[in-house]
Formats: sequence, structure tokens, C-alpha cells
Amino acid sequence: MSLPPRTLGSRSIFPYLFGGLFLFLVADSWRRAEVNPGIFFEAEGREHLWRFVTGMYPPELSWEFLELMVRPTLETIQISVMGTLIAVLIGFPLGLLATSTFSFQGLLHESEYRGTGVRHGLKVGLYGLARGLLSLFRCIPEFVWAFMFVRAVGLGPFPGVLAIGVAYGGMLGKVYSEIFESVNTRPLEAIQSTGAGRLQIFFYGWFPQVLPNITSYTMYRWECAVRTSAILGLVGAGGIGQQIEISIRMFNFHEVTTLLLILFALVAGADYVSAKVRSLL
Amino acid sequence: MTGSPQYHLERVRKVFGRGQVALEGFDLQVAEGERVALIGPSGAGKTTLFRMLNCTIRPTAGRLSIGGQEVAELYGRRLREMRRRIGTIYQQHNLVPRLRVVHNVLSGRLGSWSLLGSLASLARPAGLETAHRALTDVGIGEKLFSRTDELSGGQQQRVAIARVLMQDPDVILADEPVSSVDPSLAETIIKLLLAISDHTGKTLLVNLHSTDLALSYFPRVIGMKAGVKLFDTAAAQVTPELLQELYSGHVPENGAGEPSREPEPRRIAV
Ligand SMILES: Nc1ncnc2c1ncn2[C@@H]1O[C@H](COP(=O)(O)OP(=O)(O)OP(=O)(O)O)[C@@H](O)[C@H]1O
Ligand SMILES: [Mg+2]
Repeated sequence: MSLPPRTLGSRSIFPYLFGGLFLFLVADSWRRAEVNPGIFFEAEGREHLWRFVTGMYPPELSWEFLELMVRPTLETIQISVMGTLIAVLIGFPLGLLATSTFSFQGLLHESEYRGTGVRHGLKVGLYGLARGLLSLFRCIPEFVWAFMFVRAVGLGPFPGVLAIGVAYGGMLGKVYSEIFESVNTRPLEAIQSTGAGRLQIFFYGWFPQVLPNITSYTMYRWECAVRTSAILGLVGAGGIGQQIEISIRMFNFHEVTTLLLILFALVAGADYVSAKVRSLL
Repeated sequence: MTGSPQYHLERVRKVFGRGQVALEGFDLQVAEGERVALIGPSGAGKTTLFRMLNCTIRPTAGRLSIGGQEVAELYGRRLREMRRRIGTIYQQHNLVPRLRVVHNVLSGRLGSWSLLGSLASLARPAGLETAHRALTDVGIGEKLFSRTDELSGGQQQRVAIARVLMQDPDVILADEPVSSVDPSLAETIIKLLLAISDHTGKTLLVNLHSTDLALSYFPRVIGMKAGVKLFDTAAAQVTPELLQELYSGHVPENGAGEPSREPEPRRIAV
């Protein structure tokens, strides 16, 4: 019996090509990034490490200092929450537009309209624009965004919020659109067959399918935002990060330890909250 | 919708991407209130035919008119109005798994609801009484507030029937409405559909894998195979030879006589 024709290009050389390229990259990076585990076993290296570690102990726990750190801690939380919120506001609509099954093909479009080329072209253009914006937002590191926003709006938490909002908006939008593309269209067709309009199909068939996934991914991103907001502080975008930067500059490594502990508690707390929310879905 | 036949198909052809011909030269006339069973091996094109009959996909070529209206000329609001008058019970579970049963049932009303009304109903279901009655009609009234994905296959199929009851269409298309229920329930459901069509004069078209059910309950039976119509006749005229021919040369593709499944869309885990 003859085999049916292969419709999916499984006879491709790409897997081999990429496999080879990957191996080459790993080998090359090992050499060029100067990876050298031996350094941990040399006397000098060990001494450096030891001095660094002991310099950070014990953590600074005086009331004065802790009291001073309450505000920056809260600020870090606020930056992460506001930043994630803005990221959702940017990512959701752009993610929708960047979804081909939402913006120009599939059951919301085929057989719905008289096919005018201009209209279709416009939709595809919008789709391309959304994808482009998302890539742009995402490929510039948060750190660089923060730096630019500090220049634009001055020091403080606000540039941090903006940086997280834009960079994370790009990441959220990208992942949202992948979640949207993976929606099962059969329930959508059934709803469409009752005579429902596009938005009704969206709210009854589409949204309930994607909600759990986008919520859980957003929660995960918020967790990352807590950590990121600390890094952003290093360029003057407020929060704990700014305190870490000050303490390092003053050689107060005991304080750095305390701040890292606070950061650890924050991330663990965010992890706990997001796990709780996800378990409710 | 009087006078002209409900469905009028002339040389309808459907080709899916990559040249997959699902239906070829299909002619069909169905009068208002008629009850027709379609039988045929897996892959014959029954589901594809129904998707054209409910106006969710368009024929590649040929004429399709419903109640005297050319479907090719319908767009936007008028297309949706046409769809609203045709209720479909799908073969595979076309319910939204995450929604509660009540919302899946009420989604049958979407064609008659405004956007705001339908949004409000998600928060506070409108027409609970009627939804409950529809579910009770199919024997699972107690599942009104369950989550749909917690129901068994047969129960979900009945939710889909309840949705069509809510829609209250002129035509009911049932694509394998009894594929995942036990034989006695299958008979009950077929009888229920026939009774609805009897009382309300709704046209009823049913795809069936069980030739027994088709021959014993439907006055008219259509046999199709590989996208073409093999016979279209009164149930009494369907001979064993005809059935033999209908299913001959048919090697079950996915297990014996199992309905074929389209591949599930790829999902990503996040
Ligand atoms: N979306 C699609 N894209 C490509 N081919 C399709 C598509 N839908 C159906 N087909 C093909 O059209 C043919 C008819 O399919 P259809 O689902 O109508 O069969 P069926 O008679 O309903 O079968 P079953 O009894 O197994 O449900 C099949 O060969 C199938 O592979
Ligand atoms: Mg089918």
C-alpha cells in the first residue's frame, strides 16, 4: 500500500541545521564567556569569595534602618503592581490584534463579509503593526526602558512603573496572542451557528477559554515584576533597588544583606499570592 | 418561509484547503417540517453538509438557498438572522468547557439578545426558568449550575440539545446527537427530537451512524458516501443491498466505524 502524501514538511533539513547550530553555540559560548569553574578551587579566588561573603554578615537589623526601609519596600510592591497593570492594559489589546484568528482570518471573518481587498489589507496591516510594536516593547530590556524614562520623567517610582509597563506589556501581549491562537474553535462555531455576533462569540466562547491561562501567566509575570522593580531601582527608579544601589555605593554590605532578605520575602510573598490565585481558577 | 422548499441545494461542492474535496455535485430538496435521516460511512461529508446548511461555512461552488433566500447573498445582520433560525446539535462537544451549564444552554438565545443583554446574563443568568425547563426536557435538570467540563460525554450532548431548545429555531440539524449515549437513551433522544419536530412543525435533519435508528424512526433516508449522494428515498425502500453498497469498501479508519475526529487544536501550557 502506498503511503498518503505527507502534508506537513517532516522531511526538512531544518532540525539538523538548528541542532548543529545549537551545539556550536554552546561550545563557542563556553570558550568565549570565559567559563572557568577552576577559579573556585584556587586559593586566591576562594579568599575573594570568603571576604565578600563575610563582609555581608550579619545583616543590618537596627530599628532605625528597618524603619527607613518600610517606604522603599512598599514602593517596590506598588511599582510592580502598577507596572503589571499597565502591562496588561498594553498587552491585552495588542495581543488580540496580534492574533491572526482574531484580526483577519478564521471563523470571525471568513463567510462573514463580502471580501473587499482593502478591508482585508487593513486588517492584516493592523495585525502586523501590533506584532511589530510588541516585539519592539519586548526586545528593549526593562533596564534600558527605565533609563530612558528616568531621563524623561525624572527619578522616582514612576519611571519604574512605565518601564515595567512597556517591557512587560510586550511580553504579555506576545504570550496572550499565543494563548488566543490556541483557542478551540469548535465551541465558537457552535455559538456562531446560533446567530451570535462577533462580540457575543468573543465573550461567551473565547474569553472563558483563555481567562485561566492569561490570569495565571499574568500572575507569574507580576512575580517577576517584583524582582525586576528591584533591578530598576539601580538606575534610579525608586524602591528597594535604589536603596541597594545606595548601600553598595556606601560599602554598607550589611545593609545590602538586609535588603536582599526583604526582596526575598517579597518575591516569596508574590509567589504565594499568585499560587493562591491560580488555585482558584 | 412558506411556499418554497426549506432547503434547495444544486450541485453543491465543498473543497477544503489543499484540494480536499468533501462534497461533490450535491443536490437536495427538503420541505418545511420534513424529517430526514442522513447515513453514510465516516468521512462521507455529513458534517460538512450540515455546516453549510447552518451557514457557518459557504459552498465552494453550487447553489444553496434556504426558505427561498440565496445564502451566497447573505452577509452581516441578515446572515446572523438566518443562522438564528437554524439550530445545530454538533457531533463533537462544541460546548464551552469552562462555562457553567446554564450559560451554555442560554447561549442558544444569543442570536436574539443584544450584546449588553448577553453580557449581563453572564453575571446574572436571564431566563433561568426556561433554561431549567430545557434541561429537564433532556433529563438533566439538576445539572443547571454544574461546570460543563464536569459532565459526562452523554450529559454534554444533552446540554447541546437543550441549547437548541432554547434557540427555538425553524430547522434542527442534529449531527450524531446520540454518539456518546447508551442505546436506550439514544432512542429516547431521537424520540424527543421527533416529538419536538412533530409539535412545532420544525424541520429535522439528523446524521446517524446507526442505520437501525434511521430506518425505524425517519420517513426519509439519505445515504451518502465519499461526498456524493448514493440514495435518497423512503425508509421502506432502503434494502440491505443498498446498505451493503453504502458501507462497502469502507475500511474503518479510526477503529471500527468510529466517527472520524478532526485533530484537536494545539494547546500551549503556561
Ligand atoms: N476543515 C477541514 N479541512 C480539511 N478537510 C476537512 C475539513 N473538514 C472535513 N474535512 C474532510 O472532508 C471529508 C468529510 O468530512 P466530514 O466531517 O464531513 O465527514 P462525516 O461524514 O461527518 O464523517 P463522520 O461520520 O466520521 O463524522 C473528510 O475526508 C474530512 O477529512
Ligand atoms: Mg461528522
